[in-house]
Amino acid sequence: MSYALEVRNLRARIGDLEILTGVDLTVPFGEVHAVMGPNGSGKSTLSHVLMGKSDYNVEGDAFIDGVDLSGMTVDQRARAGLFEAFQYPIEVPGVSLDLLTTAMAESNPEDPGFGGRIAATSERLSMEPFRSRALNVGLSGGEKKRSEMYLLGVANPKVAILDEIDSGLDIDAVREVAAMVEALRSEDLGVVIITHYSRILRYMSVDKVHVMVAGKIVRSGGPEIAEELEGSGYTEYQVAAAG
Amino acid sequence: MPPTLTGSNDAAWMAKKRTAALELLPTLAMPSEREENWRYLDLSFDPDLDSAPSTPGVASSDAIVAGWHGTVVTIVDGFIVTDGVQSIGERNEETVSVDGDDLFSTAFVAYAPGTAYLGKELLTQPVFVDIQSTSTATTFPGVHVDVAPGSDATVVVRMSSNSDQPAVTVPRVTANVGDNARLTLSIIQDWNYATRAIGRCTIRLGRDSGLAFSEIGLGGKVGRLHLDVDYIGDGSHAKIYGAYFGEGNQTLDYRYFMNHIGTNTRADMFLKGAVADTALSVFTGMIRIEETGQRTESFETNRNLILSEGAAAQSVPNLEILNNDVKCGHGSSIGPLDEDQRYYLMSRGLTPEHADRLQVHGFFEEVVEQIPDEHVAAWARERINNKYIVAQQEGRV
Repeated sequence: MSYALEVRNLRARIGDLEILTGVDLTVPFGEVHAVMGPNGSGKSTLSHVLMGKSDYNVEGDAFIDGVDLSGMTVDQRARAGLFEAFQYPIEVPGVSLDLLTTAMAESNPEDPGFGGRIAATSERLSMEPFRSRALNVGLSGGEKKRSEMYLLGVANPKVAILDEIDSGLDIDAVREVAAMVEALRSEDLGVVIITHYSRILRYMSVDKVHVMVAGKIVRSGGPEIAEELEGSGYTEYQVAAAG
Repeated sequence: MPPTLTGSNDAAWMAKKRTAALELLPTLAMPSEREENWRYLDLSFDPDLDSAPSTPGVASSDAIVAGWHGTVVTIVDGFIVTDGVQSIGERNEETVSVDGDDLFSTAFVAYAPGTAYLGKELLTQPVFVDIQSTSTATTFPGVHVDVAPGSDATVVVRMSSNSDQPAVTVPRVTANVGDNARLTLSIIQDWNYATRAIGRCTIRLGRDSGLAFSEIGLGGKVGRLHLDVDYIGDGSHAKIYGAYFGEGNQTLDYRYFMNHIGTNTRADMFLKGAVADTALSVFTGMIRIEETGQRTESFETNRNLILSEGAAAQSVPNLEILNNDVKCGHGSSIGPLDEDQRYYLMSRGLTPEHADRLQVHGFFEEVVEQIPDEHVAAWARERINNKYIVAQQEGRV
C-alpha cells in the first residue's frame, strides 16, 4: 500500500543557502498532519519544493500515491494529485474563477468529474458570488482562503498542502477555514497543514504534528505536541538545532 | 443615396475649405522622423495621397454587423454607403473644425469624400460604424459624433480591410460631447498587416460631460492613432482605455493627449499592449494642464508585455502642468509574462501554454470589458486570444 505523501531526505538550496536539510515525512491517506515551525524554518519552502517551483536546487525523493515526483513540472505534479493552497494566493486580474476551473477541466481531459465537483463545491462553500470575479483580486484574507479551498475541492487531489492557511485571519475566519479542512477529510486524501501557530488546531482534529526547525523535521507525534508548543514555543528546538 | 463624386455635395463652407486644402497640399512635405510627433514611424513610403478612389468598392458583411442591435453606418473606401446618412460637408454650417495641421490631415480635408455625421437622430440608438477598405489606393474615412447636451450616445467604430493588399488609409474620428452629455466610444482597428493607417481622433468635452473611450488595436503594418481629448467644459471627465497586440513587423504608434482646459476636469488613461515577433509598440501619453485647469485630476498608466525577444515596446508618459492645484500621476511597465501568475496557474494543473494563455486573456480583459457591446467585446476578445494562441502554436512567443 502506498502513502498519500512520502518524502525522503528532501534537500533544497537557493545558491549556497540550504533551506531544506533533509526532510522525511509520511502522510497516509485519510490523515491530516500539521507541520509546525518558527519563521524561516523552511515550511513554505517545503510546500513550494514539493510543488516543483523552479527557484531551488533539489535532492531527495517525494512520492504522491507511490508516484515519483522527480523530474515533473509544476502542472504535472498538480495533475498527479498534489494541491498547494497558497499562503498568499496570487492575483490574476481579468481571469475569473470560472475561467480557471474551466481551464483545469480542459487540462485534465481524462477526469470527467470536474463539472460535478465545480457545482458541488461551489454550493458547499457558497462560492456563487465569487465565481465571476477575478482570481484573488480585491478579496479579503478569508475570501482568498475560501477561494483556495474551493479550488482544492474542484481539483480533487490526493495530497493537499495548506500553506499558512490560518495566517492573517481573524478568529471567525480561522474557525471557518478549520471547518472547511475538517470537511475535506476523506479516505482518498492526505492533508498537510503548514502553520506557525497552534491556534487553528484548536478548531479541528489532526492525526499527527511534526515540528520543523532549520530545514528538517525534528520531532513527530500526536496532537499534544501542538499544546506543548503553545506553552513553550520553538526555542528549545531552535537551540538544539543550532547545537 | 448613391455615392457621389468627392466634393460635389459640399456646402459652400466645405467647398472653400477643400479648395484651400488642395492649394496648401503641394507646399506640405511628408513629415520627418526627426519631428517628435513622428519619430517612431518609418515614413519611407509614398502616401500616394491623391490616389483616392472616385467610387467605393463592394461592401461586405459579417456576423458582428448582422448581430448589431442598433444602427449600422457603413463607410467603404471613405464613401458613406448607408442611405440617409449625411456628411458634415453637406451640412449648412461647420459643426466641427475640419482644418488640417500636417500633410495627412490636410489631405483628409482635400480628399475625404465625406465624414459621416452622427447627430441627434442617429444617436437615439447605439451606432456601429463599419469602415471598410477594399482599395489599394489611399482612402480617407471619417466619422463625426455630435452628442447633444444632456443626451447619451454609444458608438462603435470598426475599421477593417476586405483584402490582404497593401494600402494607406487616413481615418479620422471626431466628437463633440455637449454639456451634461455622455459618450461611450469604442474604436477597433483591424486593418490587414499590409495597411498603413495614420489615424486621428479628436474629442471635445462640454461642461460636466463624460466620455468612456476604448480602442482595440489589432491590425496594420502601421497602426497609428493620435488622440486628443480636450476637456474644455468645467467638470468634464473621461475614462480612456486601450488594448493593442502587435506581431510580425507591425508598428503600433499611440499618441494620447489629454488637454485639460476647464476647471475640475478628470481623466483616467489606461493602456495595455503586447508585442510579439519584431513588432514595435509606442505609447506616448501627454497630460497637459493649462493655467485655467484648476483642480484637474489626471492619471495615465501604460502596461506592456514583451512576448518575443525581438519585440519592443516604448512607453513615454509626459506631464505638462501649468498650474499647481492639480493631482496627477503616471506609471508604466514593460516586461515579460508574470512568473508568479504562471506558477500559480500551473499549480492548478494548467500546462505552461494554457497558463500563459489565461494570463494574456486576463491582461487584456480589463480593457476589452470596456467595449459597450457584449458581442463586439466577445469578438475582440477572441481575436486577441487567437493571435496569442497562433503565435504560441507557431513557436513565436
